[in-house]
Amino acid sequence: MRLPHAQVAILEAADANEARRIEAVAAEADLKPETATGAAFALEAEGLVTLSEETVESAELTEEGRQYLDEELPELRFYRAAIEAGADDSPAQMGQVIGEAGLDGEAVDIALSNFARKGYGHIDSGEVTADSDADPDADPEAAALAALDAGNAADSDVLDRLEQRNLIERTETTVRSLRLTDDGVTALMEGVAVAETVGQVTPELLTAGEWRDVEFAEYNVEADAEDVRTGKKHVLRQQAENVTDVLVGMGFQEMQGPTVDADFWINDCLFMPQDHPARNHWDRFALSRPSQIDELPEDLVERVEAAHREGVGPDGEGYHSPWDLDFAKALALRGHTTSMTARHLSGEAMGDLEPPQRFFSIEKAYRNDTLDATHLLEFFQIEGWVMAEDLSVRDLMGTFEEFYAQFGITDLQFKPHYNPYTEPSFELFGRHPETGELIEIGNSGIFRPEMLDPLGVDCDVMAWGLALERLLMLVTGAEDIRDVHGTLVDLDFLRNEEVLY
Amino acid sequence: MPTVDVDPDELRELTGHADTDDEQLRSDLFDLGLEYEGETDDGNFELEFAPDRLDRLSVEGIARSLRYQYGDDRGVYLPSMNDAEWTIRVEGTPEERPYVTGAVVRGLDLDEHSLDSLIQLQEKLHATMGRQRAKGAIGVHDLTMLKGGDVEPESDQSSGPAGDGDPTDVADPSPSLRSDSAPVQVSKSIRYTGIDPESERFVPLESDQEMTPADVLEDHHIGVEYADLVESMDRVPAIYDSIGLFSFPPVINGRRTEVTSDSRDLFIEMTGTDQWTIDHMLSIVCYALDARGGTIEAVTVEYADDAPGKHAGRSLVRPDFETKTKTVAHDRIETMLGVDLDQQDVADLAERAGLEASAPQDEADAYDIEIPPYRVDVMHPVDVIDDLGRAYGFNTLEPRYPDVSTVGGRHDRSRLENATRDVLVGLGFEDLLNFYMISEAHNYERLGVDPGSDVVGGGDPVTIQEPYSEDYTMLRSWALPSLMLVLENNTHRSYPQDLAEIGLAAEVDASENTNVAEHRTVAGVVARYDASYEDAKARLQGIAANFDTTLATPPTDHPTFIDGRTATIELDGERVGVVGEVHPEVLVEYDLEVPVAAFEFRLDALE
Repeated sequence: MRLPHAQVAILEAADANEARRIEAVAAEADLKPETATGAAFALEAEGLVTLSEETVESAELTEEGRQYLDEELPELRFYRAAIEAGADDSPAQMGQVIGEAGLDGEAVDIALSNFARKGYGHIDSGEVTADSDADPDADPEAAALAALDAGNAADSDVLDRLEQRNLIERTETTVRSLRLTDDGVTALMEGVAVAETVGQVTPELLTAGEWRDVEFAEYNVEADAEDVRTGKKHVLRQQAENVTDVLVGMGFQEMQGPTVDADFWINDCLFMPQDHPARNHWDRFALSRPSQIDELPEDLVERVEAAHREGVGPDGEGYHSPWDLDFAKALALRGHTTSMTARHLSGEAMGDLEPPQRFFSIEKAYRNDTLDATHLLEFFQIEGWVMAEDLSVRDLMGTFEEFYAQFGITDLQFKPHYNPYTEPSFELFGRHPETGELIEIGNSGIFRPEMLDPLGVDCDVMAWGLALERLLMLVTGAEDIRDVHGTLVDLDFLRNEEVLY
Repeated sequence: MPTVDVDPDELRELTGHADTDDEQLRSDLFDLGLEYEGETDDGNFELEFAPDRLDRLSVEGIARSLRYQYGDDRGVYLPSMNDAEWTIRVEGTPEERPYVTGAVVRGLDLDEHSLDSLIQLQEKLHATMGRQRAKGAIGVHDLTMLKGGDVEPESDQSSGPAGDGDPTDVADPSPSLRSDSAPVQVSKSIRYTGIDPESERFVPLESDQEMTPADVLEDHHIGVEYADLVESMDRVPAIYDSIGLFSFPPVINGRRTEVTSDSRDLFIEMTGTDQWTIDHMLSIVCYALDARGGTIEAVTVEYADDAPGKHAGRSLVRPDFETKTKTVAHDRIETMLGVDLDQQDVADLAERAGLEASAPQDEADAYDIEIPPYRVDVMHPVDVIDDLGRAYGFNTLEPRYPDVSTVGGRHDRSRLENATRDVLVGLGFEDLLNFYMISEAHNYERLGVDPGSDVVGGGDPVTIQEPYSEDYTMLRSWALPSLMLVLENNTHRSYPQDLAEIGLAAEVDASENTNVAEHRTVAGVVARYDASYEDAKARLQGIAANFDTTLATPPTDHPTFIDGRTATIELDGERVGVVGEVHPEVLVEYDLEVPVAAFEFRLDALE
């Protein structure tokens, strides 16, 4: 018979006549107790040994118990001091005795109560009388402490008392003993060999069935393994995916559109006057080459220009600003992704849209602004809009509450605001999920008639936008966005950044 | 966004609520949309606000808004105005800056604070409506220092306005004057005109030398700052009284008429490229000075028959405190705010917003809402509804999720991009996200590629007019340069470094409407001590197999890669990219000490 090394050693150390404790057998076989126990169970399953269990009580000294073993019990110190003070003849002052015994704090109470209980004397009106017949050297509790320390048994009643005094801790353990069965004896007589130890499970081992006769070498399962490189999506991309999930779940459809676009789509369609400060060449990224779009839808251009010059509706007023087609045709990197919204609302992107509609995009926008810890020249803008008949400010609020709640941002506040292309407009503020601060989390509003009317939309459209990077900074606590987005990224940051879900 | 500095004590005084504590005041201001940004060195509130309510660019304007908010004022307020004594004659003006407007304000008791406030209002209006003085520029003068020249009763005064002018803009210049029994008053006038910049001298503010306008543009720090506004003009704007040249708008005033805290009567003139704009800037300034106890007095603006601009031959009485009216449907108010209101509610909200609503006429169920002249932001009835909503308190509205059902979904392109990214990540690539703006040096030169050459990455550059810095002058034509930059910046990090990115690439393409071809590109690099062509090819094979496309890699040349170890990527027979071992010359350029294998191809090839 071939058995693993541990089982062979246990079998050889076991006795047919006497049940032996596993610990003892393990020590003899030079095995760790847990290995020996495992092997013993395996042998029992084979019918080669029987196992028996018993519960054994053991007691160990607590820290306090150990202290009294070293220093003597407080009541004994008190008694000895009392004798010293002559309290066996005439009552001594308690305070004096305590002082002599060197007791203080809790030890005083302990000494006094046990002194009386054990009949070492009594205390009356602050005077101590000691019984001269008492024998502190024969104190059973002190003796029990010493016995336990030496690993010997002690009287159970005394142990109860010591446990009450919190000087010992009693535990119950299960002790297993094993004994050879007749089959075990037979197997030993027929000869038991140690099975081969192998390092790795191999195809040969599995197909030949040899795995049954081998023992697998133990690994240090606690040791660190070699690093495995995990590829993963960029953390900002993960955030974009999460936002996409939320918006698609809320019924929003994704938009796409050009990065390089005519100012017409970026600004004029949004009723941004051509002399608006944000349309200065130094605030946006106008292109030097190519410089103009070839074609714009003529009738739309006419309607947009009319809205700029005269406004829309019987009471409408336009801007008192110049409007020039060449300026509208100039190409730039889009300053916001609302250019895609304009293309969609006008029917240019995917034909005329009938309400209701919900659309979103998470794409890059470009601003020629300062580059610092919270601002990038190019950033991802989350843009969303809802088109329906008769949308109210309350619908807008309800939609945003729902959206931001998905990212733990609650307590939304709507600060009335101004945008050239929305009215009413709101800056959105929300409660930071971690710090509890009120923070700005986006910009929103209902598109103006001067924007919608030329685009051919005759129902309401509400919209909002925020930077994805800002949301990421809120969610992850990232402090410098330049470390996240762009070629300055530290690979170890990406490798070690916690995934978002 | 603009900011305005306001002394909180002055604000309390002007609102008549002396006991409002700072915190309450800040909260009231926030409700107006004025955000407290901090305190200035001299203890003023620095307030940030959206640039619509330009009437709140002064402490007086903010106080007025607060008084409406507190309910102390209601409805439309119009300052009273005395008849015109002064005239601005407009003749020979530069056609680039044809318009002027003006007002006289008397009986002011300016202290240092109110003078500061006036100066601030002037600066802030310049920065906003005035478009840095290009569209409108304000000049404020001490009236007592002006000497009105004698003006003969000219023929155009008695003939009145001619032509098809807008009746609200054009008024008979002198009905009251003609009825006045003391016609001596008529004789005060100043003249807005254009002059040769080297022809006349005056002493500008912040100087004690006589200078010509040309000298000012050359040597005076304010002149230098605003020189570009008048540089292209042969004749520059100039304002004269009977003593001589006293203002060189939009650049600088003369020192003679400088306003001090001793000034009690002011002459305000504004010049610009649009009459409406300067007239409304003037209304805002007059409202502020009215709140300081000044008495507004009209000024007649007389455009000569041959004056440039659309008011030639007309006389205007300014400031124009005419209100305007917008018709707002009751139903629209209710649907936009999402609440039920009765007529009384609407009238009340309008008054609290400083507007006035007439009762709906007949069946129309619409209100005529009267809007005061300082409200330059009201362009459409929807702006009135916003005002009513603010008066109602937007934050008291109960949010509700709109009962509108739509089907959501991703765009096909982003689904493909996402699936490809999943495969890349499965292959062990670290997904990157780099800027799409780059420089020519990084996009081409460092990789040995010539702009406009017929290789992957060689596309014609889409270039930016005014780049933020020399690192971001164009849109990248491929993504490999970005990955190489990340490798360069991470040589201190452990290898292998397998990096990939899916993102934008663009190049000039005259066949596109925008003249730019944009596409999504997929790029990967394998950087490790034993990286070779095979590593890149193996990963490409994995990608191709996952999208059920047939990959072929016929040999090719590319300046970025080692000859004989470079191939065209063909997917389903189309040439869509390049794969190869990066040339040691390029590796050394990026300070890399490990070999790099790379590939790049168009995302749409996987469709």
